[in-house]
Amino acid sequence: MFSTLDISTSALTAQRIHLDTIAGNLANMHATRDADGNPNPYRRRVAMFATGDPSRGPDAPGAHIQSVVEDPSPFHLDHDPGHPDAVTSGPLKGYVRLPNVDLSTEMINAMFAARVYEANITAMEVTKSMAASSLRLLA
Amino acid sequence: MLIENLTNRGAIPALVSTAVFTQERHRMIAENIANIGVPGYKTKHLDVRAFQQALGKAMDRRGSDPRQPFVVDGGQARTDGQGRLVVKPSRRPPENILFHDGTNMSVERQMADLAQNAMLHEMTNTLLRDKFEGLRKAIRGRV
Repeated sequence: MFSTLDISTSALTAQRIHLDTIAGNLANMHATRDADGNPNPYRRRVAMFATGDPSRGPDAPGAHIQSVVEDPSPFHLDHDPGHPDAVTSGPLKGYVRLPNVDLSTEMINAMFAARVYEANITAMEVTKSMAASSLRLLA
Repeated sequence: MLIENLTNRGAIPALVSTAVFTQERHRMIAENIANIGVPGYKTKHLDVRAFQQALGKAMDRRGSDPRQPFVVDGGQARTDGQGRLVVKPSRRPPENILFHDGTNMSVERQMADLAQNAMLHEMTNTLLRDKFEGLRKAIRGRV
């Protein structure tokens, strides 16, 4: 009964990391430069879900984030010739490369993550009430 | 031996088996809920009706003799050598092509199963508590 709480906890942790990546994507929606100040747009990060919980053993049930990878899709292009990071030559002259973050995708993913988080909290509440009911058998 | 005779008769073994079954089914549902949104995850499934049929057969087989062991032998739930109930959930194949990530999760079904299973557990525990309370009254010799 107590290991059931671990299953739900692993999913809560995974959804928390998922929300962290979404928050990072939204925060960097307009970042055309990297942390060192070089013109290198931010790439969207994606949390890769996998079943099982390796932190508790090879066959432990649950869910976890296997890795956080970068989205290889092309950057958004915005025509803004006055921008300091605009492309100066070639067919894309005058365009600014913006991160490949899509606002609506991120918002929908955030809503989904919050709903799954809630579902797992509900499962934990039920686990707790079942354990309490079983413990009352002894008293 | 006397206590064993008292607690191993009537509905008590069936109630204990049901309590263990609902607990294991709850663990399975929690795992299904934990894996909402995981690509390729196939939901696990335990058939309640098949378990109830196996439970009925086990009660018929044992009759009213409390010295007979109570053995459940169903498709997904069976009593092992130590008298413990072991369950084996099955995995459901994807039902349709709507879920192109290979899952077959129905969150609504899982949450309904969660609530229904918790109610069954609560009911089993209430009935068990009443049984034990009756025994306790008989031991004390007063109501």
